[in-house]
Amino acid sequence: MYQPLLANRYLGSRIIPLIAVAAVALCVGLVIIVVSVMSGFLDMLLNSGRTLMGDVIIRYADPGIPHYDLLIEEIESRPEALAATPVVESFGLLKLPYGNRTEGVQVWGIDPASFDQVVDFKDSLVWTDTPPEVRKFAEDMNGLEIPVFDELPRLDPGSAGGDPGVILGVEIDSAAKVRRMDGSYEVKAPAFWMPFRDVEITLIPISTSGALEKPDNRRFDVANEFQSGVYQIDSRRAMIGLETGQRMLGLEAAPIYDTRLLDETGELERIGTYPARVQMVLVRAADGVSPEALRDAVNLAYAAFAARIDDEDAMTIRPPDQAFVGIRTWREQLRDLIGPVEKERELMRILFSIVYLVCAGLVLSIFWSIVHEKTRDIGILRAIGASRPGVLGVFLAYGLVIGLVGAVLGALLGWTVVVNINAIHEAMGEPAPGWTWITAFSLAAVMLATAIHAGLRGGMLRTLLSIVGALLLSGVGTALLLHQGFLMWDPAVYYFNSIPNQVDWSSAILTMAGAIVFSVLGAAIPAAKAADTDPVKALRYE
Amino acid sequence: MNASHDQSSSDAAREPVLVASELRKTYRMGRVPVLVLKDASIEVRSGEWIAILGASGSGKSTLLHLLGGLDRPDRDGGMIRFEGRRVSDFGGAELNTYRNRSVGFVFQFYHLLPELSVLENAMLPCLVPNRWFSATLPLLAAVIGGGVGAAVGSTFGVEILPTADAPTPSKIALLALTCGVLGAAIGVVLFQLGQVLAERSRLRHGPQAAISRHTLEEFGLGHRLRHRPSQLSGGERQRTAIARALASEPSILMADEPTGNLDATTGRDILDLLKKRHDAGLTIVMVTHDPAVAEYADRIVRLEDGRVVESRA
Repeated sequence: MYQPLLANRYLGSRIIPLIAVAAVALCVGLVIIVVSVMSGFLDMLLNSGRTLMGDVIIRYADPGIPHYDLLIEEIESRPEALAATPVVESFGLLKLPYGNRTEGVQVWGIDPASFDQVVDFKDSLVWTDTPPEVRKFAEDMNGLEIPVFDELPRLDPGSAGGDPGVILGVEIDSAAKVRRMDGSYEVKAPAFWMPFRDVEITLIPISTSGALEKPDNRRFDVANEFQSGVYQIDSRRAMIGLETGQRMLGLEAAPIYDTRLLDETGELERIGTYPARVQMVLVRAADGVSPEALRDAVNLAYAAFAARIDDEDAMTIRPPDQAFVGIRTWREQLRDLIGPVEKERELMRILFSIVYLVCAGLVLSIFWSIVHEKTRDIGILRAIGASRPGVLGVFLAYGLVIGLVGAVLGALLGWTVVVNINAIHEAMGEPAPGWTWITAFSLAAVMLATAIHAGLRGGMLRTLLSIVGALLLSGVGTALLLHQGFLMWDPAVYYFNSIPNQVDWSSAILTMAGAIVFSVLGAAIPAAKAADTDPVKALRYE
Repeated sequence: MNASHDQSSSDAAREPVLVASELRKTYRMGRVPVLVLKDASIEVRSGEWIAILGASGSGKSTLLHLLGGLDRPDRDGGMIRFEGRRVSDFGGAELNTYRNRSVGFVFQFYHLLPELSVLENAMLPCLVPNRWFSATLPLLAAVIGGGVGAAVGSTFGVEILPTADAPTPSKIALLALTCGVLGAAIGVVLFQLGQVLAERSRLRHGPQAAISRHTLEEFGLGHRLRHRPSQLSGGERQRTAIARALASEPSILMADEPTGNLDATTGRDILDLLKKRHDAGLTIVMVTHDPAVAEYADRIVRLEDGRVVESRA
């Protein structure tokens, strides 16, 4: 079998296939870097969005889901579910303690303990201790009480009374603190620091007939701030206690009276209780259970829950029909948030797919010239009995090796850049060290000397290459000398702390396979031309 | 006189190994058809050395190409028989086998492959034949590699999907497909790598290597086995080309102006070498324009304007 032998020799004895390999590697590396970073950003966005969401969300807007405790009990009895938590949700007005600012916010009423079991809420709380600058400020202010941060703050006042608590999204208040490069916060104006202050929240309950009722306004102590990682959430959401939220929105448990006796006795007879309701139940999947499998289990659990309530007496308030209840995975829930970014990534993938055509065109042109150059060799092979498919095989094998080697080198290049992208980014953010531009200028001087030496000895190609090298190195040296640091993604401006540095291997494999296929396709036309070569014409070819 | 008679009776006793009758061949020069061979007939007997003598453009190289299966005569343009079989009716595979096994070509300009060493060039005809596994094994490697890749892709695909991509069946299928393509490519390239290593061993230690090495040593090229053609003199290159033509032990050696590109002394060396082989029983058909070179042959066939005008011993 001469095909592997010749393909191997053609590959090793010429520069031009190595240029093809380098070009394929660069194309593959480029696509892997771009798509990996974009996938990483998308993942980052999704993971942040998922932080306060659980794996499956049951949602039914006003008047909400009654008997939710039974629903949670039913869900938690399923092996697919680890925990579930009730949430009330409404839009409200938040009055900040300074600047006479009132903002529209999304208010969630949560039970901190079960909420933490579902979404690891503790991990998203910003303050675990009072920062030193705030502590110093409190001391200077003579006895200003330093807040103590519980692992999980109580938000409902309970029987002890007092103001209810609120946990604000960290970006709601932008006056007291600034975001550091590592994503943490530094308190700049302790007087405005939120945990020292209280805020007012106004919610408007909706009646069962769908009309707006009298707004409920209450004062809340700021117990902490939370950070989900998504700016839209961190700048627009406030967490209050579940009971407080239910009370403000008219979703708390209420007695039911029999009005028929009112005329006879002048009194209302209490005949039952209208159960408390919530608009959402968030569910966390057990380890190893996919959100999709959990969603199916939750659907079954809801059906069982509804059937159980149906068996109760006629006076019982029944849960909403399952057909109208939204039971979605977190990914389905975040569709409007991730959809545009996903589309951008797909668009980028399609645009960069043009790279495949570049690979194919490059390999085609290189192979065309190789086949042209090797016409006589092909004639010899045909003269000694090589078949047309055999000759085709030489060049297809050649194209396959170029595609595979280029793809593997490209993947290595992409992996190296992606894994070190933060170090590269940081290096770009600093002025170039002196030794870099000194080295570049020194090498440029050496190249210039080589050019002069070669010029004097009459070597035109060597002179030209040396001049080009000297110019390039001078350019690099000047760029390094002038480079004063440039941060492409400043964490203080953009809402992420580091650039994603995980290779998207699914896209990388797709890119590599594409590069191989298109390299082989690029080689196929010249290979077919070679196979069709008439041995007599080829042997006459000079 | 007696000797001549003996020779003639000996010639008559030998079976014709290659018979060409009334060959016609037309080439097109743009739109103009040019009839190069006009009913040329020739008979080559086993062990005979025939010189086809003629001026440039007389059609002698064309006749050699037709005899050697490099080209086909015009439709209804005569017939070529090799050992009783019609060469002009051969299909592609049969024609390839005929070129590889039955005839060996020597060209004026040597036509060695510059990337191969002297030994590899000399062995090339032994590497060319399509064996049953030539196409089957790479395909098998592709299928096995593709299957393994697809299995790995469908099994572990979910692990490497970004969180943003829901592991839908279509995405897993796409991943399995791309892993399959990658696996197939790796399978074929690994197989080729194995082939290169196997060929390297075969080129050094195989029986064909021994035969070619022996031939090259006999031709005085024992010290040049690893050299590239560019490192050889013209005579050495032509001797390598003859060694290549003899590698598959063909029935007939076809030489197209074998000394045309060499100086007189080197040319004589090459002809002596051919004569030595001929004396050992090799059938030779040689094309030349030089009557002195043609004198080496047992029989001279003169070609003029595409016609055989003389055939003499």
